[in-house]
Amino acid sequence: MVMGNSQIWAPWIIDDIHAKAELGRYRIRGFSSFQKVTHFDDLVFLSTGLTRFPLEGYRESCNTRTVIGSRFAKEPLVLETPIYITGMSYGALSRNAKVALARAATKVGTATCTGDGGMLPDEREAAQKLIYQVLPSRYGFNPHHLMRADAAEIVVGQGAKPGTGGLLMGIKVLDHIAQMRDLPVGIDQRSPTRHPDWLGPDDLGIKIEQLREATDWRVPISVKLGACRVADDVKLAAKAGADAIVIDSMLAGTGASAEVLLDHSGIPTVPAIVLAREALRELGLYGKVSLIASGGIRSGADAAKALALGADAVAIGIAALIALNCNKEIPGADFEKEVGVKAGYCHHCQTGRCPVGITTQDPELEKRLDPEEGAERVANFINSMTMEMALLTRSLGKGDVHSLEPEDLAALTIEASAMARVPLAGTKKVFGM
Amino acid sequence: MVDLDASTLSTTDLNRRIKELAGNGVDEIRVLNPQARHNIAVGILAPCKITIEGSVGYYAASLMDGPEVTIRGNAGWALGENLMSGKIVLTRDAGASVASSIRGGEVFVSGNAGARAGISMKGGSLIIRGNAGFLTGFMMQKGKIIICGDVGEAVGDSMYEGAIYVAGKIGSLGSDAKITEVTEDELISVWETLERYGIIESVRGGQGRERVERHKDRYAFTKIVSAKRLYHFDSLERLEKRVI
Repeated sequence: MVMGNSQIWAPWIIDDIHAKAELGRYRIRGFSSFQKVTHFDDLVFLSTGLTRFPLEGYRESCNTRTVIGSRFAKEPLVLETPIYITGMSYGALSRNAKVALARAATKVGTATCTGDGGMLPDEREAAQKLIYQVLPSRYGFNPHHLMRADAAEIVVGQGAKPGTGGLLMGIKVLDHIAQMRDLPVGIDQRSPTRHPDWLGPDDLGIKIEQLREATDWRVPISVKLGACRVADDVKLAAKAGADAIVIDSMLAGTGASAEVLLDHSGIPTVPAIVLAREALRELGLYGKVSLIASGGIRSGADAAKALALGADAVAIGIAALIALNCNKEIPGADFEKEVGVKAGYCHHCQTGRCPVGITTQDPELEKRLDPEEGAERVANFINSMTMEMALLTRSLGKGDVHSLEPEDLAALTIEASAMARVPLAGTKKVFGM
Repeated sequence: MVDLDASTLSTTDLNRRIKELAGNGVDEIRVLNPQARHNIAVGILAPCKITIEGSVGYYAASLMDGPEVTIRGNAGWALGENLMSGKIVLTRDAGASVASSIRGGEVFVSGNAGARAGISMKGGSLIIRGNAGFLTGFMMQKGKIIICGDVGEAVGDSMYEGAIYVAGKIGSLGSDAKITEVTEDELISVWETLERYGIIESVRGGQGRERVERHKDRYAFTKIVSAKRLYHFDSLERLEKRVI
């Protein structure tokens, strides 16, 4: 045995201790959890054979239209695909990145979401459908913007940092960001995690009613939860009157989070969806309250499996940024010089030195992202994902992505079987049941 | 003036009527029999005068921009939440989180206020004639809070900017809050605000220092601001030192 092979004292553990010994505080980074956990790769679809027949995979129509929030809202969100872009703040992201994502969403008939920094006018203009987040910080929150939103999302928790508020390091809190958030320029912003005006689930019900009154019951109101005590949280949010519930798993992305929260809190996306589905079913609200899954959705296959497990839609964050060129060597960028690592290894969004102009407020770096070209790439990516979903759905003999169900899946590991509540491949056994 | 009897309207219909009247330029609207209901006068974005004759529940006069609202009674949580501009006068006590996240305008509480008064304020003014509860001014970002009575534990916890003026006893200071000297101009400004609401008798007469000297013992205030020790992490990672 050699030192480098130790499971307990692995080289990166030793490096982590060295770093904290210098730093004297918890470490902060961007991207997502690096833990090895059960994910959609541990599930496979059981396509058709003789027991049922397929639809022509390359030809026949397959519905991907998705309606979110029809429980109480007069104007639910109608999307052409069950994939939309999750909330990422203007501040964590550059203006060009926010505008590119908004234009991409519009191109493919889906929605994007504001994030913890208020509504950027250019984003509102570019997005045909925009979800306005109501966060504990209320940075830049404006009732006029609420009235212009197509949906409102009350953020209770984020998967990358459940039980904690957002972080934006001082290098990104430049004049324009500080002004929008009413903060001193250059501070290391640590957002609150408790809402200022409500605390418990009964209060949340009144808060939801307030937003409905302000918007005349027009737009859907969703509640976003970090996936921890999923069953109870989902029941409480549904009882509070949410039109939709977003379950953001431990695999969700972030521009900056304490590493200890990224890797050591929350549960993966697969069990989170199942627990949420069952919680809604117990209340008789499955199919009435829309369920949205987010965290580690990378492809049409991931999205299709999320829908098969019970989600109505998925929200993507990191995948959309990668489509924008995150972690890609592009002309003018020098990853090793600018963020100290090669392209493909960067998770340094918190530094504000993004070599491809996405997670930066530096005007020179931001120029490296052309909003129109970026929008085209993200739109292509979402279209690709949607086509992948449709292809899988037809191979299962179904003409609507919302007809996918757990019965279409098998698990490749015992853990996945237990978490997804589907049989282990080659057996009839659902583990843990 | 138009009277609306809340006892004959659902909350939604009541709010719709208020918005409709305010949007049509009606100057004064009176709401009768509010029955301490939640979410009365929410999302009014046109200037008008609204008088609510009785107590209200949570979120009264919230998400507003422009109106002047008088409430003759008590209010539940989050009175005036996210006010952009305008004025709210409450004749009795306020529950928790009064004036939370307001970005402008003025909120006056004639009685006492509960916990977290002025939490997350981003501008504007909150004036409390009586006492205020714990965590008053929590994570306040801008604006001014004046408390004529006592304030509870952890006042000004983690505040960024803005100022809290307290005439009575202070339960304790919150994390990163500190007491600092009140300037003459600030003291006179606080007094003038209180005069407007008839809380103190006129302190007119005299100029500057003379005026302050004459009244300062009678109308003394302690000023609380951010110590700014939480503004920054005090260390950077190796890589951050290199690239930032």
